[in-house]
Amino acid sequence: MKTKINGTNGKIISLATSLGVCLALYICLVSSLTAALLILALGLGLIIYGERKDSIEQVYLSVEKNKPIVLGIIVLFVLVLPFLLHKNNYLLHVVVMAGIYAIVALGLNFQVGSTGMVNFAPAALFGAGAYVSAIAAVKFGISPWLGILLGMVGAALLGLIFGFPALKTRGYYLSLVTIALQIIFTQMIVNTAWLGGPNGIPGIPPYELAGFSFKQSLKILGLTIPYQINYIYLTFIFLGLTALAASRLYTSRTGLAWNAIEQDEIVAATQGINLTKEKLLAFALGAAFAGVAGALYAHYTSFIGYEDFDFSKSLILICMVLLGGMDNVSGVTLGAILLTIIDEKLRDFADYRMLMYSVILITILITRSQGLLPKRTRKYKEKSTGMPCVGQTVTMGGESSGSLKN
Amino acid sequence: MELLMSQVINAIMLGCTYALVAIGFSLFFGVLDIVVFCAGDVAIVGAFAVAFLVSILGLFVALQGALPPMIATVIIVFVAALFTALLMALMYRLVIRPLEGRSELMPLLSTIAAGFALREIIGIFYPEGRNPQAFPQMLPEGVLAGNAMLSWRNIIIIIATLLIVGLLYWFVNKTKTGLSIQAVSQNREAAVMVGINWRFIVYITFIIGGVILGVGGFLVASYFDVIRFDMGSMYGLKGFCAAVVGGLGNVYGAIVGGLLIAFVEVFVSAFVPGGTAYAGVAAFLMVLLFMLFKPEGIIGEKTIEKV
Repeated sequence: MKTKINGTNGKIISLATSLGVCLALYICLVSSLTAALLILALGLGLIIYGERKDSIEQVYLSVEKNKPIVLGIIVLFVLVLPFLLHKNNYLLHVVVMAGIYAIVALGLNFQVGSTGMVNFAPAALFGAGAYVSAIAAVKFGISPWLGILLGMVGAALLGLIFGFPALKTRGYYLSLVTIALQIIFTQMIVNTAWLGGPNGIPGIPPYELAGFSFKQSLKILGLTIPYQINYIYLTFIFLGLTALAASRLYTSRTGLAWNAIEQDEIVAATQGINLTKEKLLAFALGAAFAGVAGALYAHYTSFIGYEDFDFSKSLILICMVLLGGMDNVSGVTLGAILLTIIDEKLRDFADYRMLMYSVILITILITRSQGLLPKRTRKYKEKSTGMPCVGQTVTMGGESSGSLKN
Repeated sequence: MELLMSQVINAIMLGCTYALVAIGFSLFFGVLDIVVFCAGDVAIVGAFAVAFLVSILGLFVALQGALPPMIATVIIVFVAALFTALLMALMYRLVIRPLEGRSELMPLLSTIAAGFALREIIGIFYPEGRNPQAFPQMLPEGVLAGNAMLSWRNIIIIIATLLIVGLLYWFVNKTKTGLSIQAVSQNREAAVMVGINWRFIVYITFIIGGVILGVGGFLVASYFDVIRFDMGSMYGLKGFCAAVVGGLGNVYGAIVGGLLIAFVEVFVSAFVPGGTAYAGVAAFLMVLLFMLFKPEGIIGEKTIEKV
């Protein structure tokens, strides 16, 4: 560390970082595709510069130290955002979708990022939550609020089933198995008339709170704001909760065990990590996240069909995790939001959309495959001094394995 | 009995088309240890190239004046296969080579994205590309021995597959380049040490694979009579499944796997009531079971991981 971060300095750094990220996201959202890509490139350039100069770690540290400031700015940004965009329903819709996909991506990150198990079926888990909640509401008249819970449990159960192959296979074989599961899921939905078949499920009721339907537009201070604002707040409350859960999991023993499995399964097993339990946990927890997001999605769009949850959606979700940065909660969230925005911007190009999407994807994969904010080296405070010891990695030999045992 | 026989022949034909793309997967996996996911799309590009040469440029009619139709067909398919071979080599250069040495997920994702791009390029640039296209029938009409299933088309599809497999067998086992391919797939470092130009061999493999995929695309299009720009994803996926079921990296396993998947699909849709809709599900379920209980495939060698 070249310069020691003192209190004020750190505060300024974290303030600038969070403001800069919020501003960049806002500009990405309202401007054209070219500008969005330029900002992405600029941000990437800044990150690379920071990595070269080794100052990115200082930014991380000061952000972690001044969490209240950063969180405050982000919360304020989300609160204000609908008012800035209140004339534009479409952009508000993009914000809701960004939040929903960020939740799914955070869940997917448990499998792909933390544990190193390729899962090509996140869209199926997402769809499971959506279908469970939608069917419960449309066919059985169960409250959508309860539907979130049902969707979560339903998706988690499906995630457990999807997790079983991961116990026996890995690498390409696991990716083939999950692709097969994803396609079986889509085809079963198309073939089952009770689930709406190829026509999907229309007329899913929106959320209601004490008689206030979330499909009503909001009137505040003489401004009429489209109904999406309700869903923005709802989605981002859930995103906040899931991000909190994800970062707590990352620092917990479970997250450490997942990382150990990612590095070497056999060594992890010899260190006393229960592979079966941890792998299934990664799938079930990730699926639960996807289920919550699916339930939100179903009641937000009020119509779901099989094409919302097919293989290409799975690919997009994987790319969100990959491009954001594996096993980095803020990276994954950022990646999901940015990719959703870029995806929506590409809609202007109609026919060329998927082509440009794949070209952008290949370019990013080749130029920066570790993602926007790559996986970080774990740091543990030494008990005696309370100073962070830099450069201590999660290797399964040596000190950090000792901390696993007790 | 009649029904059973015709379904068996149907399954063999479908299996042949799957086997060709599975051979492609196995060849690429052999030399590079990566899954090249755009193989199915490259094959469909081959089918569209044939359709372009015949329906739009009218090459078949032009050639027919001077040559017997069979030779004209072979020439056209050969031109299309050369195109797919170049495309495959380009794919290697553009989306696989820059990602060498990174995690195995990267080339998988980049080739999936490349497959998407190929599909979209067909959809955008081929005239009326988003609509299903009638595939020109160039294989002779008529049946053999009065049996409806033994039509010339079916026989030619099967014979062409056998011919390609035979040629591949000869090339891989009897020529120096083919032996080098085997050497590289067995052990890259050792192959480099005995003086094999590794990079050159990889390009050769991609070109050969591209030719096989191009012919496979022609055969699958002849089988279905209709081509769609997004056929490649399913075709590639089935081929990948066939390659894995047979044993990834093993060319003969790819043929067995292709036949197995085709048999499951055809028999489920023919003999299970209401099974047509579930044919794909059944095939993928079989792949799942294989992965769980015999992940090395039918012919593949069991790899033992050393700590």
